Amino acid sequence: MSRDANPHAMAPSKPGRTRTAPPQLPDRFPFGGRYLAYTLFDLTGILYVLLGLMVLCATWALGSGAASWSSLLERHRSVVYIAFHAVALIGVIFVGVRFFGFFPKAQPPRVGPLKPPPGPVILAALYAVWIGVAALLCGVLAGGILR
Amino acid sequence: MKHPLLKLEPLIWLLFGQGILLGTILLTPWLLVMGLGIPLGIVPADALSYERAHLLASHLVGRLVLLGLIVLPLWKGVHHMRHTFIDFGGAKRDALVAPLLYLLAALGSLLALVAVVRI
Repeated sequence: MSRDANPHAMAPSKPGRTRTAPPQLPDRFPFGGRYLAYTLFDLTGILYVLLGLMVLCATWALGSGAASWSSLLERHRSVVYIAFHAVALIGVIFVGVRFFGFFPKAQPPRVGPLKPPPGPVILAALYAVWIGVAALLCGVLAGGILR
Repeated sequence: MKHPLLKLEPLIWLLFGQGILLGTILLTPWLLVMGLGIPLGIVPADALSYERAHLLASHLVGRLVLLGLIVLPLWKGVHHMRHTFIDFGGAKRDALVAPLLYLLAALGSLLALVAVVRI
């Protein structure tokens, strides 16, 4: 009676060296085609770090007294600050739109016994929260609410 | 032994993800009012006079919002900057760049905590 064939019977005694091509960047990286949005999304990291540090400065100024706070508000009136904040707002909206677009695609098929809601429902809910919270906080900061 | 950064990976990803989600949601009104509205005269300057700003920021909710506005964007930012460095310069320098960037975020977070407590 013959035995089952051993699939490794003809294997070489030592494994062969795996040849790999040196890694190279794709032709269109970093700003061509679909890499543009990817690279810009990564670069918003710089904006977020600067914004975090600027809010830290503002909070520190608030804790340092009225003169510090007034001086900070005065600085914010300079063209450089206004231009930076305008660019930052575009960057923040870009991050939100891109990230919220990923969100429905990243859902698992099931969460325990439940299925996640359809993608458009998740997307609509995210935008509703974004717009709602932004409007509420704008109202508070601008003095329309909690005056 | 696992590299310390690998051990911290879940925490870093949590802060990064919340930095995108909550950071973006919180930064939008901050930029609209504090960054553009008041400096351009669209929002009256006395809306954030020292007395009113202090009153809002010294409330527990105000402190938490400010903490989130500082800490979450910092972690989102440094994590994305780390990946930008890897994309443009390769992974060789990541062993140096990543700890430096995360140290910056950790230091900023600590200062943020001090800043919101001293309001």
